[in-house]
Amino acid sequence: MRYGYVAQTLHWVVVALLIVQVTIGKIAGNLPLGLEKLALLARHKSFGITILGIAAIRLAWRRIDRPPPPPPMPRWQHAAANLNHWGLYALLFAMPLSGWLMSSASNYPVSWFGIVQLPDFVGPDRELKEFFRELHHLFGWFLYALVGLHLAAALKHQFIDRDGLLFRMLPGGPR
Amino acid sequence: MIFRAVLLALLVCPAATADVRQADQSSGTLDFSAMQAGAKFTGSFRRFQVRLDFDPANPAKGSLDVTVETPSIDTQDAERDEILKSPDFFWIEKHKQAEFHATHFERAGAGWRASGELTIRGVGKPVPVQFTLAPAGAVAVMKGSASLKRLAFGLGQGDWASTEWIGDDVEVRFELKLAPIG
Repeated sequence: MRYGYVAQTLHWVVVALLIVQVTIGKIAGNLPLGLEKLALLARHKSFGITILGIAAIRLAWRRIDRPPPPPPMPRWQHAAANLNHWGLYALLFAMPLSGWLMSSASNYPVSWFGIVQLPDFVGPDRELKEFFRELHHLFGWFLYALVGLHLAAALKHQFIDRDGLLFRMLPGGPR
Repeated sequence: MIFRAVLLALLVCPAATADVRQADQSSGTLDFSAMQAGAKFTGSFRRFQVRLDFDPANPAKGSLDVTVETPSIDTQDAERDEILKSPDFFWIEKHKQAEFHATHFERAGAGWRASGELTIRGVGKPVPVQFTLAPAGAVAVMKGSASLKRLAFGLGQGDWASTEWIGDDVEVRFELKLAPIG
């Protein structure tokens, strides 16, 4: 049993976007303010808002096309997997939202690919900017931790338990 | 000589100065907005002086003089302010002030248009300023705006001359409580 193609596609698109996000976020963070930094952060924000949108779609899609049942595993593993999944979902919202608020507070409002400007829920404020910046970075660490666990668990099921769990998120298997 | 003439006019005819009003940062705001990476942001100048000599009944004789202290630019981001003060933008070491002078007024919709010259970085360009003037007790509330192209004044040297990430259009807005002089 595997996830449907819509759910699979959205999952892997988010994986790709997260890799891009961490990369440009780190590069831009170390640059002095200049056109290069502006350009990188503009894309970082656009991709981040894209992830926010996809996260909302994924949650909605889960209700339409239910995830397949997991392979048999101890109750605690099932509970841990659930907790981790919901934690990851929460972070797919918390990362872009904290970044968005940080942008508004630092008076660099967010545009989605230059197509639409997002509203500012907070005005320019140095202390708020510092607060949301730290929050954004803190959520980043949570994300690394949960993605690490998620990945480790998936690989453990696939290669140690050999229960075929990874095929749930890969094309080709039976539904 | 001029000073004496003005003094004489003041003594002889106080009414002649009744239309001269002034304001500064303590009684108003001077903001600007521009596009960065597809999103509009707003900044302010924290020090400026405005002098308006204007009688709606006799617009031909008026004048509007504005002096803006360029080092007072404030976009709520220290790094961006530093770049705006640098020789790539306002070059505050060399050009501590930006100025606007107009001596021509005409009706524009419900308000007025002052046609004058704006000087930034020593570059003077004609810029029309739209405004409304409404008496409010002892003061007069002047609200208005102007549009300009930053690159026409050399605001953005080198790489910054690109408009891909920072727009050329700048919108200036002000709201002042002008108090009578004297």
